[in-house]
Amino acid sequence: MKSRPNLYTNYDKESAIFSNNTQKFWFAVLFVLSVSLCFVATDYWILLISRSLTFSIGAWGINIVSGLAGQITLAHGSFIGIGVYTAAVLGGVASNSVWGYELDMLIWLPAAGIVAALFSLILAPLAVRLKGLNLALVTLAFLFICSHIFSNFISVTGGAGIGRKVAKLVLFGINLEEGLAFGNFLLEKNQIQYLFCLFLCMIMGFGFKNIVRSRAGRAYAGIRDGDIAAEALGVNLFRYKASAFALASFYAGVGGAMASTISGGVEPGLFNLLFSILAVAIIVIGGAGTVLGPLFGAFFYIMAPGFIQYILKITHLTESALPLNLGQIEAILFGLCIILFLIFEPRGLWGIWFRLRNYFKAWPFSY
Amino acid sequence: MTVFLQATVEGLSLAAIYSLVAIGFVLIYKSMDVLSFAQPALAVVGAGLISSLAVDRGVPFWIALFIGISLTGVLGLIVERTFLRPMVGEPVFSVAILTIGIDILLRTTLDNWIGLNPRYMGDPFPSFGNFGSAQIAGVTIKYLEIAALATAIFIIIALNIFFRKSKYGVAMRATSFDQEAALAQGINVGRIFGLVWFIAGILAAFAGFFITGGFNTLSQTSFVVALRALPAVVIGGLDSIPGAVVGSIIIGLTQGYVAYYQYDFEILTGLTLGNGFSLLAPYLIMFVILILKPDGLFGTKEVERV
Repeated sequence: MKSRPNLYTNYDKESAIFSNNTQKFWFAVLFVLSVSLCFVATDYWILLISRSLTFSIGAWGINIVSGLAGQITLAHGSFIGIGVYTAAVLGGVASNSVWGYELDMLIWLPAAGIVAALFSLILAPLAVRLKGLNLALVTLAFLFICSHIFSNFISVTGGAGIGRKVAKLVLFGINLEEGLAFGNFLLEKNQIQYLFCLFLCMIMGFGFKNIVRSRAGRAYAGIRDGDIAAEALGVNLFRYKASAFALASFYAGVGGAMASTISGGVEPGLFNLLFSILAVAIIVIGGAGTVLGPLFGAFFYIMAPGFIQYILKITHLTESALPLNLGQIEAILFGLCIILFLIFEPRGLWGIWFRLRNYFKAWPFSY
Repeated sequence: MTVFLQATVEGLSLAAIYSLVAIGFVLIYKSMDVLSFAQPALAVVGAGLISSLAVDRGVPFWIALFIGISLTGVLGLIVERTFLRPMVGEPVFSVAILTIGIDILLRTTLDNWIGLNPRYMGDPFPSFGNFGSAQIAGVTIKYLEIAALATAIFIIIALNIFFRKSKYGVAMRATSFDQEAALAQGINVGRIFGLVWFIAGILAAFAGFFITGGFNTLSQTSFVVALRALPAVVIGGLDSIPGAVVGSIIIGLTQGYVAYYQYDFEILTGLTLGNGFSLLAPYLIMFVILILKPDGLFGTKEVERV
């Protein structure tokens, strides 16, 4: 079989994480490249890539519930917020107005995910009764309730317009905020953070792939394609819809907690409707229901503004020379991308990648 | 008692505004099965157009109002033709997200124009001083609130007549009942979709004007008010115009009463509900009603086949 890598003789082989050697090879190359990137790239790009990696963790989360299980949610941003604030309370520094316990990262990172997952179980009974647009609207209500609580629960969030400092990077009792010295070589905080995001992103990505190819993943796809039919075939709707929301929120919590350490401080106004729409838009642009889609979407969302800024910098254009400011350019670009992708390429960036890959697979004998 | 009346008056005028946006939501949902998240954006764009004509360009107020509202209707038509027409037959989820994309586009463009300072709507009766207000039995009633109520009632009656008597109104009802049967009867369904968006745009622009008129002014966060028509639609049932009106009245009154009685309630019970709880109350009601009656109070129950 060695000479015919695309021949699958059993189901296990076809659904393996890397189904052929080409994928293994390119993954290894990508892995080496991305690890070595942290010693080569400037801080600007390292921070951007770290942010993209954490965003893609959150995007995988919404991909479980919207892409795989087909339940539209507009409350994903709230779960990210819950994760961020859980981490901030457990791992952050206390002040006069906010709580903080300065615990280890080993505690606050999983706790962020678990607490977010527990909160998502509030939505579970509703998710079973409702579907489609009605479910989306319930999650919208949940989002507004959450953001109201965020802006009023001052001892946790610091209050609207003020915000608080987030969790500190302390692992095994070692404070990583000042960097880590190996003899003469100093690994800076950004680099440590980047490596950590990279490993976390890999773990979560493999986790997502495993969900897709497990019993739960098949049940989610069944619910997405026709929930009544799935129920008739013996899929327990309550269990799987609830678990989809819980898993999604776990991803959201972990991704959010990690992302917050990059920005350093969070203001409760961040977790508004636009933030949740952003989560949906990232998977729409990336490709809903696919494994790589959220990664593409997150990188696109974070890197595109980065490139715009970079272009402005090298062309010596100032913001005032443009008709719109940077945030507005990003927003317009983003809105246009959502619209154009939905109309012309509903499978998103992943669809483009898929077609490119297949084109070059048969190159030069494409048809 | 005065407080109660005051809250009722303000609640009703909010209800009038919500019902204008809500009817737009329902019209679009009934005819195309699309929940348009772009409706709040159309409302504020309408307000922006009126303001730019009346204040910046110096067009007489009534003409500016007329042109601004018509242009918003045309904008709705353009949105339907360019963005939604290619999406006919696509999943509901995709179209809903698409309207979010439209919302982002419209509002970003508008935010750029608004800038940091709030915009005024212009004033048809300068002698009243910013639309003025009257004191009746200790209750302050703004003329703008009366105008909103009157406009909403007038528009609801006019739409009702339009749907029952006019050729296009009947065609719209037929289309929302069964698209394919309507096509088979020779109704131009595409034109009906356009007309629906045109009417929805006009309704949104009226709402936008009443949201931002007088002292309220148009700022970058004005659209949130229009978004609150969404709970109203959901409470009434997504496909029922009377439901939308009833839902708007429920939401408007709740918001009014909560705004005036929250403080007393907090003192009575010792709970703190937080700032701006009255803005949250509509969503809480929507939450509860969706749990109890997933199709809303007046919505038709969806029958599903595998």
